[in-house]
Amino acid sequence: MTQTQKITIGPFNPELEESVYFKLEADENRVVTHVEIINGFIHRGMESLVTKKNFMQNLILTERVCSLCSNNHPFTYALAVEKIAGIKVPLRAEALRVIADEVKRVASDLFNLSMLTHLAHHHELMRDTMNTREHMQDLKEIIWGNRMDMSANQLTGTKYDLDEKKIELIIDTLDRVEPKLRDLQERYENDEIFREKTVGVGVLPYEDAIEIGVTGPVARGSGINNDVRVMAPYSLYAYRKELQPKVTLREEGDVHARAMARFGDILEAVRIIRDVVADMPEGDTYVEKRPHIPAGEAVVRTEAPRGELIYYLKTDGSQKPVRMRWKVPTFTNWEALKVMILGDKVDNVTMILNSIDPCISCTER
Amino acid sequence: MAKIIPKIFRINTGSCNGCDVEFVATAFVDKFHITSLNVELVDDVKDANLLVITGPLTARSESFLKNALTKLRKPFVVVGVGTCSVSCGIFRDSYAINGPIDKFVAVDVNVAGCPPRPESIAEGIAKGIKVLEQKLNGEVIPKKIDTIFSDFSAPASFRGRMDLNADMCTGCRTCETVCPSTAIKISEDANGFIHKIWHNSCCYCGNCAYFCPTGAIFSTNSFDTVKLQNEKYSDVNVSHIFYDECTCCGEKYMPPSRGLLSKSYIKEDRNKLNAAICSKCRKEENFKRMYG
Ligand code: SF4
Ligand code: SF4
Ligand code: SF4
Repeated sequence: MTQTQKITIGPFNPELEESVYFKLEADENRVVTHVEIINGFIHRGMESLVTKKNFMQNLILTERVCSLCSNNHPFTYALAVEKIAGIKVPLRAEALRVIADEVKRVASDLFNLSMLTHLAHHHELMRDTMNTREHMQDLKEIIWGNRMDMSANQLTGTKYDLDEKKIELIIDTLDRVEPKLRDLQERYENDEIFREKTVGVGVLPYEDAIEIGVTGPVARGSGINNDVRVMAPYSLYAYRKELQPKVTLREEGDVHARAMARFGDILEAVRIIRDVVADMPEGDTYVEKRPHIPAGEAVVRTEAPRGELIYYLKTDGSQKPVRMRWKVPTFTNWEALKVMILGDKVDNVTMILNSIDPCISCTER
Repeated sequence: MAKIIPKIFRINTGSCNGCDVEFVATAFVDKFHITSLNVELVDDVKDANLLVITGPLTARSESFLKNALTKLRKPFVVVGVGTCSVSCGIFRDSYAINGPIDKFVAVDVNVAGCPPRPESIAEGIAKGIKVLEQKLNGEVIPKKIDTIFSDFSAPASFRGRMDLNADMCTGCRTCETVCPSTAIKISEDANGFIHKIWHNSCCYCGNCAYFCPTGAIFSTNSFDTVKLQNEKYSDVNVSHIFYDECTCCGEKYMPPSRGLLSKSYIKEDRNKLNAAICSKCRKEENFKRMYG
């Protein structure tokens, strides 16, 4: 006779970065037999809000969809607007956009990894990851003015530019961060305490990953490469093939594999930033401050730190969008949670949730 | 005097996660000095005496917040972190927002910023602890608490509190148009324009400064955004942009700003433009000069 336990987690819980509510059922060994996930806590009505704001305001509002991929949103939004308006962005601006994007990727992935080690109760590793991330935060604050929301993008280009001194600062920061990253990568790979907590936990088999259509590091952790920067390159990745990341693929599909896929992303991001600043195209940083946006429709996609981000935009020639819609990486990765959590231990639930690097504010907006 | 251990519990009421991420950084990175405050992060809201609340309070979160509040023992303090928690910030006009949180809970300290720097969050918690001590000892809560962590600094390029150079401004309203969180209000009276920046609604994005044609509005690197609740509605930057009186006809008119003039007339002697004369009289004078 098995006894079913009912367990709830959330919505306010220090282990959850964002509010979400789990209703679980578990057997006498605390193995999860049923999962129900209740959402909606972060729904801010943003699809409606963007249609009330003009194109300049939306540069900032899209940034607040989510602060962890806060560069990707305005970047992708600008790409959609430019597609409708038929504007070709100067090459220098494309380079600046990619730099901002990859800097954000490093910081975002490092934050996810620190939360993971925090949940795995490996405090030393957590602090070292967090402190390494601080270098990127300092860099963002000095060059872009804020540690999270960079406000780097502008329709038809970027708001910021880099001079010799700033490029030097970027290279300097990377020189300091890179050895630390390599050391961390080695520790995440081999540290026994960390392995014990994460290897074989929250497994997403290749077949399920394909079926659900997961993206980003979650896909790469289950052996699938669907990185948009490689599969459908955009911006500078399209002009300069050598920039495209050599992604890390893992077969295991567990929490550990996803963490290591992220490390691959981080180190490739560092390489990409170095390559771009070493060969900055000359020219303007934008075409027009306040371009006219004609009526039209566009779909674009980019690779956010968590995977594929799709923007749909419809305009009618006025100052405001008629419709804007997102398909965010967590939307598909979220579905995989049920596969990962079922049959695993109750105590692993928050860690498994963390391993898809969920961005609930993106998904529920 | 009773010494207390501040026990912190964080509630996310629908934030974009920026504030929550920065709270974690504040709590776990040594350089933000939060360890010097001897705080404890508790796992259950019922053990807390210092609530950190982020987000604009979504409709969905409202009942859960109310429920969590019933579990707290008095006295406790509430520190709202992020512009969203103070005024709903950029999300204010949405149907899905029921905040700001002070509609449902007595807030003690507000930390504006989008997201605030960890230095500001640490300062907010430090001020929250001061208030908590005063509440415990039955003291009167002061109207203002001086900065506690006075050794924090910010890089010159940090996008902090906005400021206006009134004699560069022409009241063109570009900043008001591009501001995503309606933090700027420009009104008119008999003497000219009144330009207001509400720091507690501002999301510190720099859009206004970027699009301002004259360079009148600019961001300072001040992160002095940690205020007690009673300062909430007075933290506003108010500037007057005065009309000139035309020396010719006596009508009031908005003079061109120095910022615009220096952009338009790079080489020419600008003195001749200094004649305080309205555009109507200037047109007439020019017409007479050329055709008269
Ligand atoms: S204040 Fe800004 S960073 Fe904080 S939750 Fe609101 S939008 Fe996000
Ligand atoms: S601050 Fe600049 S944008 Fe705003 S009204 Fe004045 S001149 Fe115009
Ligand atoms: S920085 Fe300027 S544009 Fe941005 S929210 Fe503040 S006042 Fe508005």
